[in-house]
Amino acid sequence: MPSKPELRRAVTPWGSFSWGYSDVGADIFVGLGLVLGAAAGASNVAFLFAGIVYVCIGLAYTELAATYPVAGGGQYFVMRGLGDVFGFIAGWAVLLDFTIDITLFAWSCVDYLGQLVPFLALTHHPWVHFSAAFALIAGLCLLNLVGVRESTTFNGIVSALDVVSETSILFFGFLFAFNPDLLVHAMTLYWPTNDHLLLGVSLAIISFVGLESISQAAQETQRPASIIPRTSIALILTILVYALAYANLALGMIPANPVPPDAHGHAQTFFQFLGSTANQGSAVAVLAANVPYFGKLAALYVPILGAVLLLISSNSGVFGASRIAYAMSRSQLLPSVFERVHPRYRTPAVSIVVFCGVALAVLVFAALPSLDPGADAVYTRFFHGEAGLDVLADLYAFGAATSYSFVFVALIALRLKDPLSPRKFRIPINIPLTFRGERALFPVVGVIGFLGIFSILIFTMLTHPIGRVAGPLWLGCGIIGYLIYRRRKALPLWDSRPIDWETQQITILKEAGELELMDELIEKLRARGKAPGVAKAP
Amino acid sequence: MIAIHPLGVLIALVIVALIGATIYWMLHPPPAPADIVAERAEAALEEMAGSIIVVFSEDIHSEHMMVLAARLARRERAELLAVYIVEVPLILPQGAQMPQEDRRAIEALATAEAIAQHGGVTIRTDVIHARQVSTAVVDLAKRESANLIMLGSYREGKYTGAPLGRAIESIASSAQCDVLIGVPGPHGRMLTLERPPAAARRNGAG
Repeated sequence: MPSKPELRRAVTPWGSFSWGYSDVGADIFVGLGLVLGAAAGASNVAFLFAGIVYVCIGLAYTELAATYPVAGGGQYFVMRGLGDVFGFIAGWAVLLDFTIDITLFAWSCVDYLGQLVPFLALTHHPWVHFSAAFALIAGLCLLNLVGVRESTTFNGIVSALDVVSETSILFFGFLFAFNPDLLVHAMTLYWPTNDHLLLGVSLAIISFVGLESISQAAQETQRPASIIPRTSIALILTILVYALAYANLALGMIPANPVPPDAHGHAQTFFQFLGSTANQGSAVAVLAANVPYFGKLAALYVPILGAVLLLISSNSGVFGASRIAYAMSRSQLLPSVFERVHPRYRTPAVSIVVFCGVALAVLVFAALPSLDPGADAVYTRFFHGEAGLDVLADLYAFGAATSYSFVFVALIALRLKDPLSPRKFRIPINIPLTFRGERALFPVVGVIGFLGIFSILIFTMLTHPIGRVAGPLWLGCGIIGYLIYRRRKALPLWDSRPIDWETQQITILKEAGELELMDELIEKLRARGKAPGVAKAP
Repeated sequence: MIAIHPLGVLIALVIVALIGATIYWMLHPPPAPADIVAERAEAALEEMAGSIIVVFSEDIHSEHMMVLAARLARRERAELLAVYIVEVPLILPQGAQMPQEDRRAIEALATAEAIAQHGGVTIRTDVIHARQVSTAVVDLAKRESANLIMLGSYREGKYTGAPLGRAIESIASSAQCDVLIGVPGPHGRMLTLERPPAAARRNGAG
């Protein structure tokens, strides 16, 4: 009888980088305009704060993905570190993120295309904009149903083009159009209120969401324990440089073209122009088009490149949501219906349709005020007029901050509960201690990161009227559904299913091809009188 | 309107350097132990480009190894030499005429030549009369500075001991280059000149 096929380890260092880049690299295309609109002259500070937290998140994911190179990412780490119920909550928050990811990036993709085809612009033809975003999501749903998905090669090419493009925009922008006095002037004169700064920080974090895609692909990466730390650190650095550079350039840039007055006819600065409702969805393209000389070329290709990257990112949302739901279903965290595979196309059809359906519902909710003046009045009364990209960004920030908070706790828990698993990459700055008779290293960065991301979660709750209602509502409904499902299946409600993690870890390392690490673990276990076997990897 | 500022120029250069250095560092991870071994093996193979000797004799049937030898010789641009060793019994003088054995040698080497031609490589052939197959092959390998000696054996049911014999054993232990011994498996395809009868029948019926 033929054995069950395993995931092929075909993802190279560039492939691993581009998996992450195609997800997180698109975020700045959406995040820049939103943060400039919210944090104004302190946008660079908002990006810096979120960036520091992001570095901690990145390091945590790097350590965990290199130690546990399995598909599943954050949800698996939390389930392993904190148990089934927290694994569910983290996975459910990631599901919210991936679902919003679908809508947010499809919406922004249309915004970028609108730079070339004004007919698609939200401000001029909201129905056309809505229909285009709707059609993109429905199309991605169909493509994923029949199992067509962008290849690693395609991701790699688009990522390479985008790295070159973004570096060029920043290079020529700083070379030809940067004035540090203007930056200081913008920071002094347009420093926001505390509320707006907090709002800016909570939006800035969305520019850094998606690094976990590298850990999602860990099971398919060559020599994951060695390669993933490199690709993750490279991705962290690249994205951080881009976010900080864009924010500072936007504040201190003298544009090649004159800045038009705002909707009320008042003069505005260039960064205010970028953060306006008309441009916030496509801020990078507008900025690039205003770089002297280079802007003429950039105006032609940046909207297309941005739209392609955003479409890939939206597709990552469809793929990620359906696969996480599938994985959670296999771990008995979600009903088995999400595990159902299409008989012909061999894809998790139910998961794809359900989460694309949720994405479409969210799209309708976000677009309603721009489509109907009556709805606009309702949103103004109940949600402080929050609509469109802001709604999507709220929920995206909420889902990311929640799942990342759990990942930090899982990192600390796994350091204490599982000190024997070899860690080829370990976050620096640790406090040695003894826990349950074993020497362990307590990660200080884990605590700093947790405090940082948890504060962003609080900022999100404080400053986003929709996020503070819809986010917890999503989690609450999920937990109720989880408890009903576990009760029906006679599974432990608050406890976890018994799993021999040590044996599973040996299998994970064996299947990852990290035989030296496997030997190291076996030796440690034998030294403690444990006889390890080999189990099926998750 | 252009606004070139020294700080802007510096930041622009730092960004390019930082991104370039990061990507370069990422794409050049330290090699794994397996990679190092593979590189060494590859380097050793690169050096090969010498000669490959395919041996035939009364007990050594290497026809099925010829395809592999020809492919290897073409890929490595190595010289290919097929040699048939006629073992002269001690009861006969060294230069004794052995027409039947010579005839078998010519047939075997003709087959080897045909296979080499199909494979697109040039081949030298030789018939050597010697007291001992193993000594003759080892001496020839030394003279030719051969990199590889290829020997074929065959299977009789589940038994390959007799055809392997002392000659192959002795060549394998005395040769100063690599020795490749090929025995076609009962269901193998790579070293099989003719299709197994059952498979051939099935294909014919289909």
